[in-house]
Amino acid sequence: MEHSSPIERVLRAVALTLVVLFFMFPIFWIVLMSFQTNETILRIPPSVVFEPTLSNYKALLSGRLETAAGTLELNFLRTLWNSIFLSVTSVAVSLLLGVPAAYAFARHKFRGSEDIAFTLLSFRFAPPLLVLLPLTIYFQQIGLANTYIGLIWVYQLICLPLILWIVRGYFEDISADIEYAYRIGGHSWFATFRKIALPLAGPGIAAAGLLAFIFAWNNFVFALVLASADKQPVTVGALAFVTASGIQYGQIAAAIVLSITPTLALALYAQRYLVEGLSLGAVKG
Amino acid sequence: MYDREKDLISAFLRGQVDRRGLLKGLGAMGLAAGTAGTLLTMAQSRAMAADFDWQAHKGKSLKLLLNKHPYADAMIANLEAFKTLTGIEVTYDVFPEDVYFDKVTAALSSSSSEYDAFMTGAYMTWTYGPAGWTEDLNTWIKDPAKTSPTYAWDDVLEGVRKSCAWNGQPGGTLGSDDAKQWCIPWGFEQNNITYNAKMFEKAGVQPPKDLDDLVAVAAKLTKDVGNNVYGVGVRGSRSWATIHPGFLSAYANFGQKDLNVSGEGKLSAAMNTADSKAFHSKWVEMIQNSGPKDWSTYTWYQVGTDLGAGASAMIFDADILGYFQNGGTKEAGNLAFHGFKANPAAEAPTPNIWIWSLAMSSFSKDKDATWYFLQWASSVEHAIFGATKHDFVNPVRSAVWKDEMFVEKLKKYPGYFEMFTASAPGASIKFTAQPLFFDLTTEWAATLQKMVAKEVPVDEGLDQLAQSIDKQLQEAGLG
Repeated sequence: MEHSSPIERVLRAVALTLVVLFFMFPIFWIVLMSFQTNETILRIPPSVVFEPTLSNYKALLSGRLETAAGTLELNFLRTLWNSIFLSVTSVAVSLLLGVPAAYAFARHKFRGSEDIAFTLLSFRFAPPLLVLLPLTIYFQQIGLANTYIGLIWVYQLICLPLILWIVRGYFEDISADIEYAYRIGGHSWFATFRKIALPLAGPGIAAAGLLAFIFAWNNFVFALVLASADKQPVTVGALAFVTASGIQYGQIAAAIVLSITPTLALALYAQRYLVEGLSLGAVKG
Repeated sequence: MYDREKDLISAFLRGQVDRRGLLKGLGAMGLAAGTAGTLLTMAQSRAMAADFDWQAHKGKSLKLLLNKHPYADAMIANLEAFKTLTGIEVTYDVFPEDVYFDKVTAALSSSSSEYDAFMTGAYMTWTYGPAGWTEDLNTWIKDPAKTSPTYAWDDVLEGVRKSCAWNGQPGGTLGSDDAKQWCIPWGFEQNNITYNAKMFEKAGVQPPKDLDDLVAVAAKLTKDVGNNVYGVGVRGSRSWATIHPGFLSAYANFGQKDLNVSGEGKLSAAMNTADSKAFHSKWVEMIQNSGPKDWSTYTWYQVGTDLGAGASAMIFDADILGYFQNGGTKEAGNLAFHGFKANPAAEAPTPNIWIWSLAMSSFSKDKDATWYFLQWASSVEHAIFGATKHDFVNPVRSAVWKDEMFVEKLKKYPGYFEMFTASAPGASIKFTAQPLFFDLTTEWAATLQKMVAKEVPVDEGLDQLAQSIDKQLQEAGLG
């Protein structure tokens, strides 16, 4: 076992504190801003001493913000709900489709398998706007424009390739012998997939799901182009605080705090799976 | 309703009693201000309906695409009046300004019939109109069967009205006889000076008389006000929006242009003349000596925020940007307005303008019903409602500027009315209408950034800019 001197330990602690401070400072500053009025935020010079107020959160939760230029109607909670709904359902659909597909690509070599897998990956290559404008026309023709189903379908462009390729790598890392042994015991391939492959690939699937969720959550342009104001995610909704009559910095900060909370909570909960899953799935022996 | 109230409202509608007298009279009869306002709106709707069949499209429905803006807020607050007047159902989508034009472009370029009408800037119609995405509204304005006799199109300020009409020919004069009315002006911004009167008093300076004075006053304010306050806020980001406010307003006041239009209709760069170079030198000097430190990142938001927070002593930007900062900010109540004439030899200010307008989508399913909405939203009645009860400034209707209650409201904004009346006759779009507008103007802003950063001398920078613009115009078949 390695022993470090007290000086080394102190230096390490100081270095770690500095790194944490450096990375956490923007979030800390945003949290502070969320408890201030616009006037205190814009004080010159800025100060950390202020009288905290919950007015920003109240405005977001009540949907009404009183400003000097009048009352501002806010749909923030609606956009937050849209983000949660779109991200969760899109990832769920991607997992449902992507995990069996990944297993098939990893275990069953068939004609054209690599081409199909690469085609799915290529969804990630095209600039979104290039895809979206023609898609808008098709969606209008088949009645999917401005629907949640249409959006969830388009969100598969983000989630499906990610899940498929990460989970495929993970399945390939698991020794096939374990599965063969189980099959010899008289079990079907589906039972093998369900009882052996899926549990072993669990961390990888969780990591892929979490990553896909973050990507879906941060998406901006899909709903903007394809849907009405009532179906916009929080990434578009947060911009409502930037108005011609001024920027509502306090509400922006409160909105950021509320909108990063679900992702942050999920990431903290699944942190172990994320690191383990990503590193195992990515390195091939 | 009682007879006395009815009589008073009828007298108002006949023009025998002014608005203030009406509301005062209704108040004396024991009606609360809110009730009086509602009665008035109802009576106005009745009066509008008297000479025109507003119910012709009853039962239809329309959908609007709106930008999150005080103009849209004022319209939404009055929308019930339109629904009552016409029986047309109206729904709307409001998008934040940052993404608004992306949404408009996506909807129009995909021929979406979802939206019947939308808010736009006049500059944008130089793309939308020739592309066939918006309708020429002259079709409806000039049709007495479709437009109310009380609509009073001529009451819209001439410079603003003409700025929204273009014949589609690159370099074509805005508002020419053959021009198409791509949009109806709704509310507009003149670019003038808003200043912090308290800081001016502290530094012992007066609002600047001309460009040389502006450079000197801004420098003195930077030196004397203290607390790191800088003299003048102007936009500086690498965008067309840097050129169009104060910069172009002052530039045009010296008779300078962006492009030359030859007799054959060919375009060429006009910003490397000796006068233009002299103007640019002064502008660059002003920013270097008295502008914000990170000027090259400055947009509408930073310019406005600094003025409201007391970080700058004045701005040369949209008048309504100053108007909005005069409420709910640290410096609220300290701001004053000044019509600015950059050229000492000019008779009056000639501000370039931004016009929030309403346009009709060519993919609308019911254009006649859409026109009903457009004419109501751009009517005098709605403009007065928006201007007096909400922040629908600057209204484009002359009648509103004669409304006593509106003029009274503006007294909270010292110098605003005077600034407006001095500038309005010369207010119009000073750019040359052509399809490369956004590209060329953005390049102009980029060159300005290089000059301020001392990466290129002003003379050389403008020569290079003119050369590049001429090349692009030729490649596009415009030069």
